[in-house]
Amino acid sequence: MNENLKIKKLYALSSENRKFSFSVPLKNKIRIGRRDYVVQLKSDEKYGTYILWKNRKYPVEIVRSRQNKYEILFNDISYTFTVETPFSLQRMKVINSTKGVNEQESLKAPMPGKIIDVLVREGSSVLRGEPVVILEAMKMQNEIQSPVNGKVIKVSTKAGCNVMKDDVLIVIKVE
Amino acid sequence: MDLSGKSYRTFIERQEALKKQFSEKQAEKQHSKGKLTAHERISLVFDSGSFEEIDAFVTPADQPVEFGKVDRTYGDGVIVGHGKVNGRLVFAYAQDFTIMGGSLGVVHAKKIAKIQEMALKMGSPIIGLMDSGGARIQEGVASLSGYATIFQNIIHSSGIIPQISVVMGPAAGGAVYSPALTDFVFMTSHTSYMFVTGPNVVKEVLNEEVTSEQLGGAEIHARKSGVAHMIYDDEENTILALKKFLSYLPSNNVENPPMVIDDGATPDINEKLRDIIPDDPNKAYDVKDVINLIIDKNSFFETSELFAGNIVTGFGRLKGKTIGIVANQPKVLAGVLDIDSSTKGARFIRFCDAFNIPILTLADVPGFLPGIDQEHAGIIRHGAKMLFAYSEATVPKITVILRKAYGGAFIVMNSKNLGGDFSFAWPTAEIAVMGPDGAVAILYRKELAESKNPAELKKELVKKYRDKIANPFIADECGYIDEVIDPAVTRKKIVSAFNALSNKWVKVPARKHGNMPL
Repeated sequence: MNENLKIKKLYALSSENRKFSFSVPLKNKIRIGRRDYVVQLKSDEKYGTYILWKNRKYPVEIVRSRQNKYEILFNDISYTFTVETPFSLQRMKVINSTKGVNEQESLKAPMPGKIIDVLVREGSSVLRGEPVVILEAMKMQNEIQSPVNGKVIKVSTKAGCNVMKDDVLIVIKVE
Repeated sequence: MDLSGKSYRTFIERQEALKKQFSEKQAEKQHSKGKLTAHERISLVFDSGSFEEIDAFVTPADQPVEFGKVDRTYGDGVIVGHGKVNGRLVFAYAQDFTIMGGSLGVVHAKKIAKIQEMALKMGSPIIGLMDSGGARIQEGVASLSGYATIFQNIIHSSGIIPQISVVMGPAAGGAVYSPALTDFVFMTSHTSYMFVTGPNVVKEVLNEEVTSEQLGGAEIHARKSGVAHMIYDDEENTILALKKFLSYLPSNNVENPPMVIDDGATPDINEKLRDIIPDDPNKAYDVKDVINLIIDKNSFFETSELFAGNIVTGFGRLKGKTIGIVANQPKVLAGVLDIDSSTKGARFIRFCDAFNIPILTLADVPGFLPGIDQEHAGIIRHGAKMLFAYSEATVPKITVILRKAYGGAFIVMNSKNLGGDFSFAWPTAEIAVMGPDGAVAILYRKELAESKNPAELKKELVKKYRDKIANPFIADECGYIDEVIDPAVTRKKIVSAFNALSNKWVKVPARKHGNMPL
């Protein structure tokens, strides 16, 4: 019906916002920067999936994938990136231009319990997914992770405190 | 062929008029909001060239009373039809926001109702791609009756064909109940909203300032309300995920789920499974690591991922066959059962049961969440849903107890006596009426009160309890579980158990329907 939608090109956007484009279906030649490289993606029983480049095998494994986000292990180094289509890139621009930026993120206790440890101090930088507080509840130690990259601007709890559900534990300034 | 005859001329003119109706300008308008047009969405969903549209030339109904303008366009703002998705027949309707805001008029509703009835008759899944401003005010009460017919059709088809809603724009007022009644709801972040009353009304009635995004954006419905099961960053990803999702489901309640060829890439015996459970019973782990090592590699499709993370639900494949997975997640809220996780689990189990999808349960549950909050909000009746759903399900049901299985929660998580077909336990399992600390405090209250060193005594008693009672061996010896297994062979055991259950047949007493606590 609409041939324009046939995707011929996809982009891989790395976590550092670097962009690589590749053609669909995948060809053996890929372009990085200004140079073309001849690589082959292959798999067999002995090595699993690997990339063949200059007669050498580089094993690659998808560690985790969620929608268009991938975490891969290549040569024992982990990389994260998203796969975007021309339209989704355009959409991203539209949304980023209209979306207000949420500047602060308050971390709240997900359930009543006791704080075992606070792993950050005011002023510490945190990365998304980094544990910041250990909360013991239901006789289990729960890691409470930072939902964003940013800087801790307030710590309103300390080890040994009992907290109720939705008590604010930490305030992070989004960066 | 000679097409110059009079009847052909009209035929061609109409075709051209329809083509003209969908101008570049309209498409541009949708694109500028980061949205695709209805046609583009349809062409993404269906295999290339397989979509057959019906009723493309219907026109809006006459207004009973002249009030506001209705565009006399072909199709009345909705595309309906059928086609192939990964080679399988699927019916769909897509609302077109560029025509009168995708508003639902009488004819618009009739088209949807028609395709719903066809889908039911053919026993094929139906997908609704929604992008609509709501009922068409100009057509008055007639458009409301249209909604009612759509709802009625969804309810009639419920449990017979999979019905999936993909909300890609606004859905407000009565319109929200159409997705709500279907089996699964997909939403696209930032551009889709669902609410019963919009921000304007909220402001008027309650004097509360709230944006559409805060009130009923995809994030809110995926995390807080649980209305949306799957959300994605953009429409292309939403549709790709939808297509993948469909590959797990049978076309109707008589068929078995589709099978894919097992590539043999997943080892049947995997020693990594032995190392997942931490030695310290108070330490958490990610149950998804266990799931991914048991099922076929990369086959896990999680549903309601962001809502009630303390229970994990989703589809996966075992030797190419679809199974439903329900697992407690120790990493989130210690994996307790609370109101949200019970309703999430129960609804998933009922879907699996309706569509012949066997259920694998991985249990590691410390119990139900205590507290005023939960009790007053009705954890009793909500927790009962899970119990009801498990016990009622007649599909093959297998449980593996990974670690904690205490009290009522042990019963709920598909225990043997609740109708579980096979019940396995890892050697790390702790099966008892309650956890060591609680049990010791009750059983030795007097001794502890009289003791000179209560902490020391308690520690000793807890250790004794853990050794003597909180293990899988007593339950094994009594036959409450079938086998204590080496974690490494879990996949092998489960595959063989599901194979043994492939002809499972349960006679259910005749009744109109059970009365599930809702």
